[in-house]
Amino acid sequence: MLQIDDLSRRYGDDTVFSGVNLRVNAGEFVAIVGDSGVGKSTLLNGMAGLDRIDSGRVLLAGHDVHALDEAARAHLRRRHLGFVFQAFHVLPHLDVAQNVGLPLMLLNEHRAPDAAARIEQALAAVGLQGLGARLPQTLSGGQLQRVAIARALIHRPGLLLADEPTGNLDPDTAEQVMNALVARIRDHGAACVMVTHSPTAAARADRVLRLTRQGLRDAG
Amino acid sequence: MPADSRSPVAALLWSVVRAEWRHHALRQATAVLAVLLGVALAFSVHLINASALSEFSAAVRSVNGQADASLRASQGTLDAALYARVARAPGVQRASPVVDVKLQALDRQGRAVTLRLLGLDVLVAGALTPQWVPRLRNPGKGGDDPPEARRSDLFATDAIALNPPAQRALGVQPGDRLTVRQGLRTHTLRVVGDVGGVGEPTGVMDVAAAQALLDPADTGGRLQRIDLQLQPGARLPDVLTALRLPPGVVSESPDEASQRVSNVSRAYRVNLTVLALVALFTGAFLVFSIQSLSVAKRMPSLALLGVLGLSARERLRLVLWESAAVGLIGSVLGLAVGTGLAALALRLLSGDLGGGYFPGIAPSLQWSPAAALLYGALGVVAAVLGGWVPARDAQALAPAQALKGLGDVRAHAARPWVGPALLGLGVALTALPPVAGVPLWAYLSVACLLLGGIACVPAAVGALLALWPHPQQAAALLAVERARRMRQTATVAIAGVVASLSLSVALTVMVASFRTSVTDWLDVILPADLYARVQTAGSDNAAPTFERDWVDAVRALPGVLRAEGIRVSPLRLDPARPDVDLIARPLSQPDRDLPLVSAVQPPRDGHVGVWVSEAMVDLYGAQPGTALRLPLVAGQPLVSVWVRGVWRDYARQQGAIVMPEADYRRLTGDDRLNNLALWLAPGTRTATVEQALREQADARGLAGSAFEFAEPRQIREITLRIFDRSFAVTYWLQAVAIGIGLFGTAASFSAQVLARRKEFGLLGHLGFTRRQTLGIVAGEGLALTSVGALLGLVLGLAVSVVLVKVVNPQSFHWTMELMLPWGRLALLCGGVIAAGTVTAVLAGRRAVGHDAVMAVKEDW
Repeated sequence: MLQIDDLSRRYGDDTVFSGVNLRVNAGEFVAIVGDSGVGKSTLLNGMAGLDRIDSGRVLLAGHDVHALDEAARAHLRRRHLGFVFQAFHVLPHLDVAQNVGLPLMLLNEHRAPDAAARIEQALAAVGLQGLGARLPQTLSGGQLQRVAIARALIHRPGLLLADEPTGNLDPDTAEQVMNALVARIRDHGAACVMVTHSPTAAARADRVLRLTRQGLRDAG
Repeated sequence: MPADSRSPVAALLWSVVRAEWRHHALRQATAVLAVLLGVALAFSVHLINASALSEFSAAVRSVNGQADASLRASQGTLDAALYARVARAPGVQRASPVVDVKLQALDRQGRAVTLRLLGLDVLVAGALTPQWVPRLRNPGKGGDDPPEARRSDLFATDAIALNPPAQRALGVQPGDRLTVRQGLRTHTLRVVGDVGGVGEPTGVMDVAAAQALLDPADTGGRLQRIDLQLQPGARLPDVLTALRLPPGVVSESPDEASQRVSNVSRAYRVNLTVLALVALFTGAFLVFSIQSLSVAKRMPSLALLGVLGLSARERLRLVLWESAAVGLIGSVLGLAVGTGLAALALRLLSGDLGGGYFPGIAPSLQWSPAAALLYGALGVVAAVLGGWVPARDAQALAPAQALKGLGDVRAHAARPWVGPALLGLGVALTALPPVAGVPLWAYLSVACLLLGGIACVPAAVGALLALWPHPQQAAALLAVERARRMRQTATVAIAGVVASLSLSVALTVMVASFRTSVTDWLDVILPADLYARVQTAGSDNAAPTFERDWVDAVRALPGVLRAEGIRVSPLRLDPARPDVDLIARPLSQPDRDLPLVSAVQPPRDGHVGVWVSEAMVDLYGAQPGTALRLPLVAGQPLVSVWVRGVWRDYARQQGAIVMPEADYRRLTGDDRLNNLALWLAPGTRTATVEQALREQADARGLAGSAFEFAEPRQIREITLRIFDRSFAVTYWLQAVAIGIGLFGTAASFSAQVLARRKEFGLLGHLGFTRRQTLGIVAGEGLALTSVGALLGLVLGLAVSVVLVKVVNPQSFHWTMELMLPWGRLALLCGGVIAAGTVTAVLAGRRAVGHDAVMAVKEDW
């Protein structure tokens, strides 16, 4: 699903990371850990084509991400990627169902006959059945993160990128969220690359890698 | 096309943007209101002018009826003998002799009403101008036709038929008596019927009766025009060639008559429409400010959509379509409001927006779908232009960084050469001549100067604030440094101030320059102590005349040191243009007697020297040192005159020629006068002289009460009152522009302050008090609006030079001196600075609240 070859990133003369190689197969869950400021989020953005790279290659679903123009990269993200952020990032003026259905709208699938049913199923799968009409301001942090998980997988992407998904949550809520996340990616057969500080969250992954300035190494 | 390759912009507009609008309805309503106001003002001005012009033209065409052409004298009247020859000419089916003058009629309260008098041969006019053929009515019984015995009233010397506007204005109906005044003579007429013609108050008499009324001593009969109806298949050029019209007799088609009407008012109408469009232009800035605020607040949402797969181009289109929706709603509502405003104005003002170009009519609203489409489209375009920069911001954001609240959204900046290039282009365009009498290039020059000035705002802000010494105190340091470094942001904040203030400065300077020039001009052209003339009907300068020998008697009155007679008569040099005024008066020292704007050329042997107004130079090429050929007397050869100088004339946009009165009398044999200028001995009361003059007129069997007098002070007051009335609409539009500009500034400050909540929250954590933070915001507001006011002032002065030195001369064919009312300009700038600072503080109060502190916690 995802193949990274010899990726590097610099800010001026400062090397953030170099020689990053990674292969993520369909359905595989990979956690990336590392010190603060080592560039974990930057690596994630580079995978998604949201940030430039200085050398190397990122292949996503067979497409060389950084060989595409901006519009093509956006289309690639639309179809093949889902995102979960530390700060949830839901649109405040749309209700829960509309937020979850956003990727379908971007793919012009929101008018499909089964669209409403898919949204309901996605909400039920993360334990938020019946909350589709609620506004985000009325939900807790854990509920919002589960909305984000539902949104990230509604369009059945091949790869989910999660940036510190439990960073703003207390331990109990974080566990609930991780349970939901793992269950959903297993159900969808989606690959997942998760960046985290949390050893507990990282332990749920199939593989844990540590990012350093010299690249990715097994964390074990 | 697969579903996922179609753009999702429409779906996002309907869901995401609509939700945003519901939650910020007031903000969006403000943007809609800005477009609505601009479209309403521009459309209503257009409708009023178009309706008035159409009605006036229809009235002109109604008077001309179904004639294929009309013969007129270039100066004076036609000899009735010409009529006999024309009526028998090959190709002419009918020729209708017409007397067409204006005189005064007295209503039931004795007030004078201008009445157009048509003298027609009813036996011929029925085919050419059927709506002006009198219908005899029984007295007081309205619709009944009278018995056969009264048919002779059609030809009676004291019978007149009135159209409905005349009957309403005078309060008379068939069977009543009507007193009319022609010159110094009064007559009593019988109202014997009505006519169906439209337009201004008009009365119809038999042509011979009208001739006798106007000049009982002239047994030959004079005519103002002869209307022609050609035989089928006859061509007008062939008929005129065969007629071999004598010099000084011209032919005019109905189209030329309508064209003349349109030409008179065109410059005024165009200028007024451009001013109204200025309101739309300023409204675009408000849309710009509102959309900037909206995009700034929605940056995280737009960033999220970008991460999820909305491309940069799609984000641009989303914001542009949103702006277009604002424009469409505002335009539709604006067209409705504009239609209502126009209907109201036509009812209250009768189509006169202050220019006085359409007197005596009560036009009905004439709505045009094409005009509505045009002005509606302009509203949409203005809104889309206003949303362009915020759309570019949305396009340019880096989604991943913006999601984390990092990075300045002003990723783009105008190329540094754009502003100076536009300024240079603006200057270059002022050198181009008008297009069909419209200063089109000058208007484009103003637009380039405004846009170029605004594009230079970032550089100007940096340059001006670089002169500011580095403050030592923390709050002042933060205020000045941010304003200095965030120059692109400054453009957003103060663009509205710069645009609206520069327009207001330009209009203030133009009006002040014009008013001062008019006042100075009046001082030169009103040297006498008292002026007298017979009451004129309307503004027509073919005023009633009196004999020259009567002036000698006036000179002998006690208290009168000197009396000069002046003859003013219309002269038609071009059928498609209004008549010019030929002014015959004593001219002992032209450089003192006339407000000259050129050097005096030496006289030329064999030529009469004349002085022409500036309009004559523009319209007829009458440069000093060139010859003009004037049709002074119908049927006589043209007279060649020599242009010796040019004088400034604010009274006659169509042109005027001043000729020494001795030369005029010698060339025309016309010994009559229609104006008097009197110099009085010190201590003489003007009321005494007025009374003596009236008594003398009465003693000669003339209507002394028909005279009207005016001292220079009174003429000056009336003139300036008319001037102020004609600019009333300008003042109103100026106020609207300033209001929209200030609102835009308030919205911009709100946008930026709200986007900096985290920054203010951090200051709170560092130990700044709320008061100190508000002080920073106020300081930034003061710094930016001061810079904006200074830029607006400089830009406004540049635009005012274009208005004074290019637009006015090209539009109205007169020049004026530039005059800078510093006191008023200082008040304008001071007011804008104060208002801008206050709005910044009000916006800051919300941003430095509890929410700002909590905003910082998002990073923990």
